[in-house]
Order: sequence, then structure tokens, then C-alpha cells
Amino acid sequence: MQLDLDRMRDKIKASQWALADIDWDAPGRELVTNDPDLYPKLKAFMADLMWIEHVGARGFAAMAKKAPNDTLREIYTYFHAEEQRHANAEMALMQRWGMLDGEGLPEPNINIRLVVEWLDAYADDMPLSVLGSVIPMLEIALDGALCKFLLETVKDPICHAAFEKINADEARHLGVDFHVLEMLGHSPVYRQTLQMAGKLIDPRLLIGILAYLPLLNRMRDNLVELGLKEERLYEAIRKYRRVGGTPGGLRNPWFQLISRHGGWMVNRRNRLYHVPVDALVRLTGKIPPRLLPQIPSWVHELTWKPTA
Amino acid sequence: MSTTTQARRNTRPQDSSVLHTYETLIVGAGFAGLGSAIRLRQAGIRDIVILERGNAVGGTWRDNQYPGAACDIPSNLYSYSFAQNPDWSRAYSGSREILSYVEGLVRQYELAPLIRFGQDVIELSFDKASRRWLAKTAVGQTYGARTVVMAQGPLSNASFPDMPGIGSYEGHKIHSARWDHGYDFAGKRVAVIGTGASAIQIIPELVKQAGFVKVFQRTPGWVLPRPDYGTPNWMRALFRRAPAAQSALRQALYTAHESMATGLIWRTPASRLLEQVASLHLHSQVPDAWMRRQLTPDYRIGCKRVLVSNDYYPALRQPNAKLITWPIATLSPRGIRTVEGVEHQADCIVFATGFDVSKTGTPFPIHGLGGRLLSEDWRHGAQAYRSVSVAGYPNLFFTFGPNSGPGHNSALVYMESQIDYIVQGVRLVIEQDLKWLDVHEGAQQRYNAAIQRRLAGTNWNSGCKSWYLTEDGFNSSMYPGFATQYRLQMRRLPRGDYSLVR
Ligand SMILES: Cc1cc2nc3c(=O)[nH]c(=O)nc-3n(C[C@H](O)[C@H](O)[C@H](O)COP(=O)(O)OP(=O)(O)OC[C@H]3O[C@@H](n4cnc5c(N)ncnc54)[C@H](O)[C@@H]3O)c2cc1C
Ligand SMILES: [Fe+2]
Ligand SMILES: [Fe+2]
Repeated sequence: MQLDLDRMRDKIKASQWALADIDWDAPGRELVTNDPDLYPKLKAFMADLMWIEHVGARGFAAMAKKAPNDTLREIYTYFHAEEQRHANAEMALMQRWGMLDGEGLPEPNINIRLVVEWLDAYADDMPLSVLGSVIPMLEIALDGALCKFLLETVKDPICHAAFEKINADEARHLGVDFHVLEMLGHSPVYRQTLQMAGKLIDPRLLIGILAYLPLLNRMRDNLVELGLKEERLYEAIRKYRRVGGTPGGLRNPWFQLISRHGGWMVNRRNRLYHVPVDALVRLTGKIPPRLLPQIPSWVHELTWKPTA
Repeated sequence: MSTTTQARRNTRPQDSSVLHTYETLIVGAGFAGLGSAIRLRQAGIRDIVILERGNAVGGTWRDNQYPGAACDIPSNLYSYSFAQNPDWSRAYSGSREILSYVEGLVRQYELAPLIRFGQDVIELSFDKASRRWLAKTAVGQTYGARTVVMAQGPLSNASFPDMPGIGSYEGHKIHSARWDHGYDFAGKRVAVIGTGASAIQIIPELVKQAGFVKVFQRTPGWVLPRPDYGTPNWMRALFRRAPAAQSALRQALYTAHESMATGLIWRTPASRLLEQVASLHLHSQVPDAWMRRQLTPDYRIGCKRVLVSNDYYPALRQPNAKLITWPIATLSPRGIRTVEGVEHQADCIVFATGFDVSKTGTPFPIHGLGGRLLSEDWRHGAQAYRSVSVAGYPNLFFTFGPNSGPGHNSALVYMESQIDYIVQGVRLVIEQDLKWLDVHEGAQQRYNAAIQRRLAGTNWNSGCKSWYLTEDGFNSSMYPGFATQYRLQMRRLPRGDYSLVR
């Protein structure tokens, strides 16, 4: 997927929106709040979704530091902020539906906490090839599976209004993501493979993977609980393979690894993968929160308030 | 008084045959214009006129009166060596004190009669027949002169930036270079756009006065500590009694700044060292890791102007201040909307967004020999010979011309050597009654080829975007070398590189 990055940057700049563009008090909230069956599950889902957006935002911040040229750096700087906007807008929806306890942030689960810690400590040290291959996978899962599903499940028009804007942003994110994925595959395969092998024994990355896998499993289970069909997730993985499977993408060993991993993750019957990862979920659940370091200050930038 | 007769003469219908021809016409009454007048007079050039568009002298220091405005080169070095001031109250004097120094120059050297205020030059053209320059001003007057010194200032034009939505903002707007002293900040929500040299001086003052200050940063700068101090009385007394002591201090400061050039202009181990100093400075003042990340540049030190401040970082950490690094999406009627979706409402926006610097054009049309137009010749980037002369534009001399910018030392050090060079040129024209003195095209090309070769290896050309570079990355602003090298090349005007037409 070849892209004119300069034009893309201009398009991004010309397509900005703000929380204030949406009337968060418009009628329709009862479509959610009057559904006692949906409500608690949706609350958990929205919290996950909003945290994932925020984690993605931090990922883009790290990528901005790695960008090979000024245009891409600027685009990633925007994406960092746009993912934050998505998290903010999703928080605003939660606020609308009375899902925020007090005014504070929704409580992050332990797996989110671990990923946040990892991002804070190591994301800036990760090469573009790692981040640039993982992010499209997350984005396509968000865009293709979660958001579509959410819109089918929730009838509140304001939710639809917000996600129309979010999805328009995401379409641009995916365009850039896959452009970069293709670009990353352009150096010789043996060199990429060696670099990946070198990276895979980097303990910082290993810790990251250990934090990331249980988060995915946990989210997947929350989703299925809410009624998401597994087929939807397969579709997302297939899309990642299809769109990313350009000549450049196929030469990128990270792409190969991640798309394979996507298949394992989605397939609940793959016991070889799920037994140990589920064990990790249980194990991480035992970590007493007081052992975790303080939440990094960038997390406190999240807000549901349209004006400050 | 001569000013009034002068004024009367100038308001007469403009008939170029009776127009008085000055020996030298100077555009601008800032440091450069006034310094040129002083040195020209000392060299025997008496018939001088200075055209100034404002109604007061001082240029930069007349215009930049925002709270906290000060020089960031020590005053002992940021002043003329031929007019040292023993009374600087601080190492880095404030704007008003610098302005009084400039006003002092006008008094001491009796320059007032030379200055015509309210004369905004809008066009310069060389009239070959009468072998003089004609300067048109906005009020419709024309001045004639054998030679012209361009001293209109590199950073004298400021305007609000062309940001989306700026026209819709309904609050109060202030540009740092056109401060609004009538505005009361007490209790106000203030947004500051920009984090360059002016901003880091303004912000600590605003944080003291305003209700809440939000600072919108696009790119962080490297910030070095500023060794400021109030001058003790004994030092002033010493300087008054023994000017040699002050000259010695000036020399020491000069040498200290020269040595910084090794780290600031080129990538050397000294650059690493300076980056470490800046980084330590940041660590010692900002405990939060994310905020430090926001404030850490991802380009080499020296690529953009290096900042010096002791109170900028601490100001950002005050409870009524906040650093915002989200990109600005648009201005709105109530404030600034950033890309993370939030509208940051503000009663007042301070634009510390810098100046309109012309790197490819000229501030007004300049027509040389054969009607050629300088902005055409400079379409791809400004070029000059030793930053002062341009082929095809005889008897015209630039201060702060192309590739004369210091990255590490006092602008006045550079300016002084430009002025002394210009004095040689003007004397040649006047004393030898030349039709014109014009630099050889070839000499100019050779000079620039060498300059651009040397620039290629500098930090300015190392990949960051800055106001030093044109859109295409051409550097026509900075001089790639030590001030000492520059002064050496400016010591003597090489006649061989000029044609002297009688
Ligand atoms: C906030 C600030 C801080 C600075 N601090 C330092 C420092 O610490 N150290 C340092 O070395 N440099 C510093 N500089 C750079 C500074 O610009 C120069 O040092 C110096 O003051 C420039 O003097 P000048 O006479 O060339 O220009 P100016 O001081 O700008 O004077 C130019 C004059 O020309 C007039 N003029 C302009 N156009 C026309 C026209 N068309 N017709 C008639 N008149 C015209 C203007 O009104 C002005 O009075 C600073 C600049 C700024 C803006
Ligand atoms: Fe998103
Ligand atoms: Fe995204």
C-alpha cells in the first residue's frame, strides 16, 4: 500500500475534531442505562477499550521518536494525540452513561497496569520495526472487530456520532500503519530476521510480551462474554494478513510472527497457546497492586471534559 | 534647527534634480543603523540621514518590551566595544536598560539630527544616471544618497501566525514583540504559544502574574543554565575608573563564547558535553520523567537557537502552569483546540511565535544596476559577498546580511566588524568620488560556494527545521565559523574583488 505521506499529513490536519463538537447531553443515554443486562458488561468493555486507545496513544508517542523522516514524525505526533482523543471521547461516553465512579479514571485492570508500566519504561527503546508491526494488528482488531460490534450492540445515537468520527480517524491510521509495515520489509530478509532474533532475546521486549499476551486473552474473554462472535476476530486477523501481506509486508518477519500469533490468540482451541497464557492471566491477577510503581503522569492527562 | 529645515525640504514636491544627495543613507535606527552612523562620522563622513519607520530609536529593544525581556548574551559583550557601559546593573540586562544604552548612544554621539522618524522605506533603486540610490518612503517622500546602509534589522517584522481559526478567537491577542502593557493579567487564563527565546523569558513572569498559564509547545529547545548576577557596586566603580578592566572582562566573555562554538556549530565531543549540561539542568529542575521527555529535544544541540534560562523549567512546574505538547488543531472563539480533543479556554493568547524572517526575499523591493530586482536574484536563497555586498547592487551595504548570523556569540561583535568594513566601502566611494563600487559576481560566487561547503558540516544543517533555513533547507542565515574568523575576513575590504567605476 503506497501512500503519499505529505498529502496524508495535510489530510490529517484538515480532519480534526474536538470533544466539544459532540453534544454529550443529547437524548438517548437511556438506551444504555435502561438495559440492565448490557450495562455492566458494556462498562467493563468500555473501560478496556478506552485503556487500549490510551496504550495505543503511548505507542505512537514512542514511534514519533523513531520516525525515519519529519513527515512521519509529525503524523505519529498527531496519532498520539488522536488516540488520546479516542480515549477521551470513550470516557465521555462512559460519563454520559454514568459509568465513571466519581469523576476519576475507570480502574485499569492489572494487565493494563502491566502494559502501561512496560510502555513507560521501555517503549521508547523499542525499534520502529516492533512497534510498527504490532500497532496495525491492534488497530485492525479495534477497528474491524470491536468498534463495529459495539455499534451493533449499542443504540445510543451519541455513541454512533462519536464512533463515526473515531472510525474516520482510524481509517487514516490504518492507511499509514500498513504503509509503514510495507516500508519496514524493505531491507534484506536475512538482516531483518537476524535483527528480530536479536530483539527477541532482549529481556525488555520479553517482559513486554509477557505483559501483552495476558491482556489480549483477558480482553478476548471479556468480549466473548459481551456476545462478540469469535468469527469477528478471525476476520480481523485475516484482514491484517490480507492488507499487510504485500511483498514488503511478507518479507517482514515481525509481520509473519504477529499474524501467526493472532491466529493462535483467536483460536480458543489452541491449548498449546492458551493454557500457559491463561495461567499468566491468573498469575498476574495475584500481583498485589501496591507492588506496582506509581501510575506514570501521562496517564493523568486523560479527561472526559470537552473544555479545560 | 536643521531637522525642521530638513523636514521642509522633504515635504517639497519631489523633483529628483533638486533632491539633496546624502553621502550615506541608513535604513533603520537600531543598534546597526546607529552604530554605522557613529563609525561613519568618526571616519569623516558627515552628510548622513537615517530613515526610521518608528517614532523612537532602539529597534529590537524598543519593540520587545514584554515582561522578562532581556539579552541572552552578557551585556558586557552585548554592547559596542567603542562605547562600553560601566553601569550595567546585571550580567544579562533587561530590555529597558539596553534601550537606555541605545538612547545614550544617540545623546553621546549627537545622532538625533540625522534621524527622520516615521519614514518607512518601501523601495530602493539605483539611478545609474545620477549615480545614486533613491529611497521611497510610505509617506511619499524620496531621499537620494550616494551610498546606502541596510540596517532594517533581521528580526524587526512580527505578525500573528497564520494558524487555523485565528480569526475566530474572541479573546485578547498579544504578540511578544508588540507587548500590550495595558492588559492586566491578574486572575486571567493565559495561553502562550511557542517556547523559543522570547517565550522562555515571558513565561516565568506571566506565571507570577496570571491566574493560570498554559504553554503550548511544538518543539522543545535545549536550555542551558544562565549565569546571571547583579553587578556589585565595586565592579561598576572599577569599570568607571579603569575601563581596561572592563575590556578584559569583555575579552574573557568573548573567548568563553567562542569556545562554545566548537560544540554549538559543529558536532564535536563538546556538543555532547553541552547536551549533558542541558540535560543535567533539566533533571535538576524537573523531577517528572514524562515531563522531562516532553522537554527533551530530539535534535542536536545548536541546530536551533540554544536557550538560556534558570527560571523557565521551575515556572512550568508551578501549580498555576501547565505544559501542553498536544499539537494545536485550531483556534476557536473561546481558546485553543488541541488534537487530543480538548478545548483549552483562554482569556488571552500570547503569541511568542517569532518573527517574519525573509530568507529568500527582501523586506522591500531593491532595484540594482539595469533594473535587476534583488528578490529575484535571491529567489533560491539570499547570497552576498562577505555578507555585506551583492553583485549588481553597487554602493549598497548590508548589516546582518546573508550568512552573517552568530549562533554562539554577540550579534554586536559581528555587527561591529560589518560596520568597519562598510566604513571602508563608503569612504572609497566618497573620497575617490566613484560612480560605483560593485563586487565581482565571480568573487561572490566563490565566497558562497565555500560558505555552503562549510555549512554542510554544521549542526544547523543537521536535519532539524528552523528559521535559519529556507523551505528547501538552504542556509542563508548563519556564518559557519568562529566570530574571530568572521572578524578576520571583515578586517579589510579587498579592492581586487570589486570593480571601482569612476
Ligand atoms: C527578543 C530578542 C532578544 C535578542 N537578544 C539578543 C542577544 O541577547 N544577543 C544578541 O546578540 N542578539 C540578540 N537579538 C538579536 C537582535 O535583533 C540584534 O542583536 C540587534 O538588536 C539587531 O539590531 P539591528 O539594528 O540590526 O535591528 P533592529 O534592532 O531590529 O533595528 C532595525 C530598525 O529598522 C527599522 N526598520 C525596519 N524596516 C524599516 C524600513 N523599511 N524603513 C525604515 N525603518 C525600518 C525598525 O523599525 C528598527 O527600528 C535579540 C533579538 C530579539 C528579538
Ligand atoms: Fe483509536
Ligand atoms: Fe488508531
